Amino acid sequence: MSTPLPSLDPLLHQPLRTQLAAFLSGRGEATFSELKRVLNATDGNLDAHLGKLIEAGYVESRKDPVSSGRAQTVFSLSPAGRAALMAYVATLAELMALSGTAADQAVPASAFIKPA
Amino acid sequence: MSTPELRLETIQSMLFAGHRSVRLERHSLLLWGGVGGFLCAATQPVVTVERFPELQQRATALLVWLAFWLGSAACADHYLTRRVRRLREETLPFAQHQITRAWWMLLAMGVLGSVAMSVHGGAHMVYALWTVLLGLGIYLFGLFSRPLTEWIGLATILLGVGGLASGLPFGTTRWLAASCFAIGLPLAGVLGARTEHGALPVRLSALAVWLLLVTGVPLSLASVSSWTPVPAAMPRPLSGLAALAGEQVVSLPAGTAVPLRLDLDSPLLTVAPQEGLPLTLNRSIEIALRDGRPDGRYRLAGGTWHQMGEGLLQLRIDRLAPQLERGEPAIRAHAVFGETESAEELP
Repeated sequence: MSTPLPSLDPLLHQPLRTQLAAFLSGRGEATFSELKRVLNATDGNLDAHLGKLIEAGYVESRKDPVSSGRAQTVFSLSPAGRAALMAYVATLAELMALSGTAADQAVPASAFIKPA
Repeated sequence: MSTPELRLETIQSMLFAGHRSVRLERHSLLLWGGVGGFLCAATQPVVTVERFPELQQRATALLVWLAFWLGSAACADHYLTRRVRRLREETLPFAQHQITRAWWMLLAMGVLGSVAMSVHGGAHMVYALWTVLLGLGIYLFGLFSRPLTEWIGLATILLGVGGLASGLPFGTTRWLAASCFAIGLPLAGVLGARTEHGALPVRLSALAVWLLLVTGVPLSLASVSSWTPVPAAMPRPLSGLAALAGEQVVSLPAGTAVPLRLDLDSPLLTVAPQEGLPLTLNRSIEIALRDGRPDGRYRLAGGTWHQMGEGLLQLRIDRLAPQLERGEPAIRAHAVFGETESAEELP
């Protein structure tokens, strides 16, 4: 009887959403414009994927009041989102080990330390 | 490459992008570069012994002068950075907040260090200190920014330390510090933006260009500013000097007595005004006079003419010890006096 393959989080197993979560994990928080620029995504595409992550509780948003009057929305990874990303990376490393690829290339857990 | 491996690589690169989100904005580089370069070039001529004869006055003037310019630059930079980020609809990363605080701390240390050096001595190190502090600041930003910024930070630290270790004259370290600020900072911004996605050889070439310009310009400036006009008058012995207006050159041969008159400001000791420490010249020296008073130009043993303002001649008292000599109390001081280039010690 063969060992069942570890399953990947379907919500994070989408290229743009993986990148989004990883960027927010490193950056702490970012505005919509920053995310759009870094991920090279269109407004509609980014909005849809952000919506899914917010709905799942992986990403949090808050209004950042600025002196010029117009508040900007700032997005950050929630503790649940951070845990999900760590679990996703651990699963990928496991899959790499099973397929015989060097596991030492995996992203270290220390890379996910939350900025204060 | 397998799919999980590709995914992990993507995650790693996005994490890296997230961590390295600190930016030294163009206006910051221009502002700090301009103010730093200006202070390196202008502080010496502004805070002078003639304007502030008392040591305490001079230290206070230096503190106010540096704190005013650097404090104003810090406020302007803080305001402009927040404005630029807001216009780009970007947040200011937490790391940038912290590094900016560390940067201000470095500058405050530099100001206090400069004032302390002017009071307690070691002032010939002041520009090397500022160059090293600038390098540390750029290096800190570079750790969270572009790799080229990090390299330029390290190069600046090495320039400061190397300049001091190799015994560069004080005037040259001053121009080097001015160049690291005024040329190095804006140039780091331009090269960093142009080579951001470049391969390693491209970034190494950018670093070489940076080093070439940052060191080439001050060395040329130092050689121009240290050029001393050769006096047209023929050298005369001390006995042959006439009480004339205009330029004269007095020649003092080796063996001439030149007593050192100490102007001591101390609550512990008093010096008799007419008493001097008997010193004798080991080498001949020529001194240029203007209207009967030394104008700062000199040359040792038929060498090239220099100006006192170049800071080549240095006196360092490195040891003081109370002693009893034949039952009489005395203070023995060990001092080193000489040129920075030849580092000669007088007995």
